[in-house]
Amino acid sequence: MTRDRRLGAVRNGRVRCAGPVLLTITLLLTVSSCGSPAVSHPGDPKVKVTEKDFRLVVQPTRVAAGWVTVQVSNRGPDAHEVIIVRTTGADGRLPLRRDGITVDEDAVEARTVQTVELVQSGTMRTVRVRLAAGRYEFMCNMAGHYLAGMHSSLTVAAPS
Amino acid sequence: MSPRLDRLPRTDARQRRRLRGQFGSRGRQHVVVLLALFAVVSGGGVALSALVTAREQHQAVLVQVAARQRTLAERYVNDVLLRLGGRPADPEGTGQLLLVSGRALLYGGVAPAANGDDDEATLPPATDETLRSQIRQELRLIIDLIRTGDALLEGRSPLDLPTTGGEHSLPADSHARLRVLGVLTSNVSLNAARTIAANADRQVAQLIRLEVALGAAGLSLSVFLGWLLIAATRRQTAHFRSLVQSSTDLVVVLDEGGRCKYVSPSVTQLTGCEESVLIGAAFRSHVHPDDLADLLTLGSSTRSADAWLRFRVRAGQEWRDLEATLTDLRPDRYVRGFVLNCRDVTERVALEEQLNHLAFHDPLTGLANRALLRNRLDHALAKAARTGNKVAVLLTDLDEFKQVNDTLGHEVGDRLLTTIAERLSAVTRSGDTVARLGGDEFAIILEDTDERLATAAAQRIVTEAGLPMLLGGRHLVVGASVGVDMANDPATTGEQLIRNADIAMYAAKQGGGGRFEIFDLSLGRQAGEVLGLQHEIQSGLQIGEFVMHYQPEVSLADGRVLGVEALMRWNSPARGLVGPVAFIPAAESTSAILALGEFALFTACAQTAQWAQENPLPDGFRTWVNISAKQLNAGELCRTVHAALAAAKLPPSRLGIELTETFLVGNDSSIDQARRHLEELHEAGIHVAIDDFGTGYSSLSHLQRFPIDALKIDRSFVAGLEQRGKDSAIVSNVISLAHALGLTAIAEGVETEGQLADLRRLGCELGQGFLFARPAPPQAIAALLGARSIPSPRPAAQPQAVSAVHR
Repeated sequence: MTRDRRLGAVRNGRVRCAGPVLLTITLLLTVSSCGSPAVSHPGDPKVKVTEKDFRLVVQPTRVAAGWVTVQVSNRGPDAHEVIIVRTTGADGRLPLRRDGITVDEDAVEARTVQTVELVQSGTMRTVRVRLAAGRYEFMCNMAGHYLAGMHSSLTVAAPS
Repeated sequence: MSPRLDRLPRTDARQRRRLRGQFGSRGRQHVVVLLALFAVVSGGGVALSALVTAREQHQAVLVQVAARQRTLAERYVNDVLLRLGGRPADPEGTGQLLLVSGRALLYGGVAPAANGDDDEATLPPATDETLRSQIRQELRLIIDLIRTGDALLEGRSPLDLPTTGGEHSLPADSHARLRVLGVLTSNVSLNAARTIAANADRQVAQLIRLEVALGAAGLSLSVFLGWLLIAATRRQTAHFRSLVQSSTDLVVVLDEGGRCKYVSPSVTQLTGCEESVLIGAAFRSHVHPDDLADLLTLGSSTRSADAWLRFRVRAGQEWRDLEATLTDLRPDRYVRGFVLNCRDVTERVALEEQLNHLAFHDPLTGLANRALLRNRLDHALAKAARTGNKVAVLLTDLDEFKQVNDTLGHEVGDRLLTTIAERLSAVTRSGDTVARLGGDEFAIILEDTDERLATAAAQRIVTEAGLPMLLGGRHLVVGASVGVDMANDPATTGEQLIRNADIAMYAAKQGGGGRFEIFDLSLGRQAGEVLGLQHEIQSGLQIGEFVMHYQPEVSLADGRVLGVEALMRWNSPARGLVGPVAFIPAAESTSAILALGEFALFTACAQTAQWAQENPLPDGFRTWVNISAKQLNAGELCRTVHAALAAAKLPPSRLGIELTETFLVGNDSSIDQARRHLEELHEAGIHVAIDDFGTGYSSLSHLQRFPIDALKIDRSFVAGLEQRGKDSAIVSNVISLAHALGLTAIAEGVETEGQLADLRRLGCELGQGFLFARPAPPQAIAALLGARSIPSPRPAAQPQAVSAVHR
């Protein structure tokens, strides 16, 4: 099972079919360890992710660690995606591929918490993720979207 | 016999169409509906397919142009970078192409060809809102891209340029900025192309769904209508099958060779054979060979005709007559043969033959009747006119037949007639026609004959008819009077022949019967005289030429006149004073006899009343008037008698009527009626006497049945009183009989003293005859009545005014 269901989907001019296996395994592990990640839970803190060409806004920007319901809505006009990656550096920058245009997803695969693929314009998707304390970058990695400004960060505070 | 060839009128083509329309319209309507539905469904399917194909082609062009934008965006970035690197490139052309194509995608219009890679395409404006927003975003990015490219090519920094596509942030490096904008444009173009493709997919999928639904509905409807059509056809077929199979008529389809292709089940009822047995050549053996050949010829020559055929049934034991309508349906591809609609008319044919026989034959004897005789006679005369041969007609009347009939009953009379018929048939040739004309009158036509043969035949008939026959336990002998006439002239008509033979027969009868006469002109003259006489009687009656004379009836005991017999005389200027014998037979053949009878009654009553006024009449005095058979049977007698009495104011007791003995015999209804009339008159006081008693066939029982007061002994017996002992015995017995029955005996024709003495000795009450008085006019009678009694004997040489001829 590939992470990207858009068969023939093109990123940076080549078909992405390499390296999804590890990512998938990671995702499956995360999902299996999280129970049922696709179902929202009334008690979870809610994080709204709003995408619009070419801006990505996360609201609120700070939540407590634990289960979080992430609600992604795309206001278009393009289709977008959301990839949640835990960042290590202070500036939250993510490494780019060699084309200098898109984030090197392979390089951040180990820190990728969740991927919400291809959210069509005018639609909304909800996922449930368990976030440990730290800083997370929410981004759309479609060609040029990250560099055009479609990324935003969320701070997850350790439970007091 | 051959089939009747009277053709039916050819069926009107319009009517045939109408009939076919009636029976075929139901199925045809289904077919038409089915075909129309097929046409609609198929047409809809084809139109949808065409629409889908056109749309697919259209969408393919759109997708192609939309996808090309991606390539153009990337080529633009490359062109700018190549130009900056000093290589040949056309970033302006590519940018322009990118912009024009983007606008064409949004607003519709021509998307130009890209360096000959493809053809220019005319695009419709985008309608889908998502697509429009994507293309608008694409156009904004193109503008941002071209502005960045232009700045780089012009050596300016693009970093400060404003953006229109909503880019939140862009790389600080000019080239990176150009590449990111190129990629964004490319990406948005790809998304727009995908949206176009997805829309197209959705629309095509909808059309295909519609097409499938339409096809399925059409198919279902077609199946349903097909089922309806089959059901309707089955019903119609079953309907006609039931009509044909339940019909008592026989329906047969024959091929040109007369072989049976179909026969309806009613054939089993008719022939006792199963249908399957008759199919094929076997059918021919059941139809009379002549009729089958005629049928096939007839069928080939006309479209529809009436035919008649004989059909062998019950294992060949019986032929049935079939009346058929033959229709040539060989051109009809559903039949391909001759159709015979047959009805069994055997009984009807038999009845027709029977009726035909009855119409032309005498039911009692089986001989030809008058109608058939006339027909045969006309044919015989026509044939004689051609061949020159002669035709004779023999008219035969039996003598005294009425007496036999009346005395021995109609059954014996009928057997007598049958016997005579057999005898007549036996003495004639097989080709001759023997007919019974009615009553005891027969006629025979002899063809190819001559006078000698006809005379011989007439003689044979007289001889044969005169032979005794044993009927009702008695040996009867009746004579036959035969009249013969030959057709000597080709112009002779049948009617003339019969009339002449009748005249000849009448002459034979006049001659005493038991003989034949051949017609000649003198006989014709005599007959003409009879006819003339009848006319004279009619006119004589009107101008008062008839008078009544009266002959007294005298008491043999004391010579008193106790009655008179009224006797009619005709005072004809041409013939002189004529007695009844000369004119009564002629009058009896016409209604003149009734007028004469009425005249006699009225005159006699008036005269008697006048006598009574002149001199008181003795007690028991009566005037006797002769009544004819025709008068009695006409049913008017009572009314006439009462009218005559009333007119003369004469008491009924002064009137008596005389009837001949022949009235009394017989047992049919007319006799009963006559008896009732007589009873009515008798009850009124009018006396009844039997005239000429002893010459007829009456018996004691007859005398008892009728209200009779007197018997008049026939003059022939009285005349023989002195000579013949037998007559004396008869007179004696008649007188005894009268007395035994309480009747008065009256002797007729008393002419001598010897007769008078005998009659007195035998106890006869009254006498009448020349010895006492001849019939005389009323004035002479008045004188006698005044004298009270007649001196006896009267001188024989006393002159008489009239020559009395007694009936």
